[in-house]
Amino acid sequence: MSNQRQASSASQVPHLSPAELSYLYTSLSLPKTPIRPDGRSPTQFRPLTAETNILPGTNGSARIGFADGTQAIVGVKAEVEKTILSNETLASERGAGPEPTDQEGSTTAAVGGHGSWVQMSIEIPGFRDDDALPVFLSEMMRESLVGAVGTDENSDMTGGLKGRLVINKRWHWRLYIDVLLLSQPLAYPLPLLSLTTHLALLSTKLPKLKSQGEEDPFFDDDWAVAEYLYPRSSPSTGAKISSSSSRPSFVRPPVTLLVISVGENIIFDPNREEIAVADAVLAISITRDTQAGHLRLLSIRTVDPPSRLTQPGVPNSENVNMLGAVAPTDDIAVLNPVTGEEEVPGVWRPRRGGAKRSVISEMVKTVLKKGGVGEEVLEGLEGVEVS
Amino acid sequence: MMADRRRVNGPPSGTRPAVFTADLQLGASATDRAQRQRQPSELRKIFLKTGLIPTASGSSYLEFEPSASLAAARANPKSLIPPSSALKLACTVHGPKPLPRSAAFSPNIVLTTHVKYAPFAARQRKGHIRDSGERDLGVHLETALRGAIIAERWPKSGLDITVTILEAEDDRWWGSAPDSHDASWGMMNVLAGCITAASAAIADAHIDCLDLIAGGVAALVADESGNSAAGTTKLMLDTDPAEHRSILSACVVGYMPARDEITELWLKGDSSKASLEEGDDRSGHDALIDGAVDAARGAHTVLAEAVRESLLRIVGQS
Amino acid sequence: MPLDTSTTYPLTKLRLDGRRWNELRLIQAQISTNPASSGSSFFSMGNTSIMCSVHGPAEGRRGDASGSAGGAGAIVDVDVNVAGFAGVDRKRRAGGSDRQSSRIATTLRSAFQSHLHTYLYPHSTISIHVSVLSVDGSLLAAAINACTLALVDAGIPMPGLLTSCTAGMSGSASTPQDPRNNELDPLLDLSLPEEQELPVLTVGTTNSVPVGENNMDTDEEEMKVAVVTMDSKLHCTYVETMLAVGIDGCSQIRELLEGVIKGSSRA
Repeated sequence: MSNQRQASSASQVPHLSPAELSYLYTSLSLPKTPIRPDGRSPTQFRPLTAETNILPGTNGSARIGFADGTQAIVGVKAEVEKTILSNETLASERGAGPEPTDQEGSTTAAVGGHGSWVQMSIEIPGFRDDDALPVFLSEMMRESLVGAVGTDENSDMTGGLKGRLVINKRWHWRLYIDVLLLSQPLAYPLPLLSLTTHLALLSTKLPKLKSQGEEDPFFDDDWAVAEYLYPRSSPSTGAKISSSSSRPSFVRPPVTLLVISVGENIIFDPNREEIAVADAVLAISITRDTQAGHLRLLSIRTVDPPSRLTQPGVPNSENVNMLGAVAPTDDIAVLNPVTGEEEVPGVWRPRRGGAKRSVISEMVKTVLKKGGVGEEVLEGLEGVEVS
Repeated sequence: MMADRRRVNGPPSGTRPAVFTADLQLGASATDRAQRQRQPSELRKIFLKTGLIPTASGSSYLEFEPSASLAAARANPKSLIPPSSALKLACTVHGPKPLPRSAAFSPNIVLTTHVKYAPFAARQRKGHIRDSGERDLGVHLETALRGAIIAERWPKSGLDITVTILEAEDDRWWGSAPDSHDASWGMMNVLAGCITAASAAIADAHIDCLDLIAGGVAALVADESGNSAAGTTKLMLDTDPAEHRSILSACVVGYMPARDEITELWLKGDSSKASLEEGDDRSGHDALIDGAVDAARGAHTVLAEAVRESLLRIVGQS
Repeated sequence: MPLDTSTTYPLTKLRLDGRRWNELRLIQAQISTNPASSGSSFFSMGNTSIMCSVHGPAEGRRGDASGSAGGAGAIVDVDVNVAGFAGVDRKRRAGGSDRQSSRIATTLRSAFQSHLHTYLYPHSTISIHVSVLSVDGSLLAAAINACTLALVDAGIPMPGLLTSCTAGMSGSASTPQDPRNNELDPLLDLSLPEEQELPVLTVGTTNSVPVGENNMDTDEEEMKVAVVTMDSKLHCTYVETMLAVGIDGCSQIRELLEGVIKGSSRA
């Protein structure tokens, strides 16, 4: 357990021998056609089961289970809270004078919402909630959530999620997103948590507001008329948007994808063993741009690859037990063209250094490109029945 | 919660200074937004010195040059509130030292990073317990450094890196309403400073690295010059968030020039709308990363000089 | 007039949620919900729902195994986590655990430590992770039932199913029981509003599964009380009534759980 804590951001260091690591690296870095241990294609995700609205006591909830048995449950709760007005807002109100008593126009313009209204906590068994991994994951997902800003000028979501939480100048919603991982993570839990959070937010409903303007808010008791936090488009929600001509105006929560590079290959949704040999690990948050019809990048973070913490293998030429048993020509260090390090083929060395700019750029491009993995994931999530 | 009755505590949430209407009209000039005086690709000067803390095996102190507006405000004060702040931080390195007996075997050096704002570092007081932002910075710093340190040279050892931030960069201009842009852009500058300072301190502690790793920040900001069409964006290096009305997207990298590799990348904000200058067909994020790398190259020259100075000092002592 | 059980019950003989005094809430139970663990279960009584997963028996951590308890048998390690969204209001937690969840964890640990055949697994740890998804009364009882199911799923030997239930009285019950004019009824399986208002007792019982010659015997004599907790004040003459009702509830739940276990082994 203490070992896990130390390897903070990299989740756990897997207990693989240097020989296994080397074998895995070689098969994953085969040019063009990497061979993954579970036979997936580089862009293929693990199969999962998903359901939403499982907890009646929350505003929205979802559960996702991966085939390997790891499960996450996300519950979203919203509470009404009083907005603390800053001096400047007060001053500008005073400066505006008493004439515009009917503040139709100014309410939407003046109030933008605040990122701290979205709170996120992640519970991972075996970790305290102030350990590095939960903190890093929750900050990563929160920053893309509050960072996503709508593009459609006329919809409710102009200010993104932040703007949606504004009730009026003096009141707002506070959103608590609690993420629960039900078992110790077998892989880096980011994809699981991000997808579950996405679904939970999609199913989140807020009670319908009955008060108007600057009154103290009161709400319709009827849960059946509650409105979705992320409004549905008027036509059927499950419709796949193949062309941007229909241009449905809806905003969707972002998703964060985990991408690794091994050699020259770019691999999505790595499992625990694959991430252990990754040269670079990136977490890329994307959302759909409804107007332009392509994907927008919201954030990129590097994740510390666990391959830096692995145990090195010993080449035969340096192994005392093998002295004289091998010809010196058997293992000659060659230059790995990707990492720029001298390596003996078949002998594992922990990764050093970082990633080249070209590699990072290529990874982002694979996510964002039209018909790429990002669109595929978002469409798949769109297909989950949200009742 | 037990109240401390031995002393008179202030109200827990703080108070707001009274604002008089007279100030509101007059105050327009005193509360002018700081303006960027530098060229888009011009960096702030960095002061970096190593070996200031004798009890640590390595240490460094880093300071950014205050912006021109701050100097002007000090020379000719119109308001008691300084218009912007400049980064000041100290970094100490303890180790390599043996791991405690209870710890599991590690073939590599075990790195622990600790980033803490001093309570007075930001305009809003920080508590003594690290909040989630500070922990997050710690993880970022760890990721950046772990790629640079040659970890297998010290099996079974630990290395503690502690960064104390004495003055933090603002997240926005203090006068603008908190909702104008509330993403913590200042934290990115702080992280870049942390990376550069920690790299100097690690070199001061004589720990083998692949290269000196430097941090750099670049941002896409809305163009406020007024002579161009509205909605255009500009790529700026080493942005001071207080000087810009709206930052669309920012990026910080930890960069090793000798290997041309990035060990830490943190990009946030929406860069898809950004229209760069004519003839620049890079996508927004690529331009940001390249910009941040350029900024890091600039910081690297300072870093190399500081490390050389400290070496000369040690040679001089012996 | 505020609507609560102590005022409405004498008039209607129905509780706040429409149940009679001896009725359980709707119980849903499932085992093997999480393939990543050795054993897992989902258990819900009314709106209290709990997911539980068991890992082990596995090799204990270095520190524990050398200890005094670790040598003789397995150590049961319980971790209770009440989700932030479980209650009506979102709970603000400091440092991950609060008094309620650590108390439940302690009770679960001591109950199962003595209940399981731990001597079969020396130098091992059986870790139980309880996630509370929503809270609506009888939390400890539901947690015990969920753990039992998960431990059965994990195949850890135990003499019988340990099931638990709450019992209460339909009034404050501060005066001695009057055998001629008894206006208070005992209640079974309390919900959260009832639990906050009325005296409540949690009881857990176990029975040894009859084997061999005793197969034909009824298991009434084999029934053992394993857990009793009560925090509320009431006159001692009522305790017996409440215990009797609670123990009866435990038997009902045991039958339900047996059905769940047998049903799943067939599938």
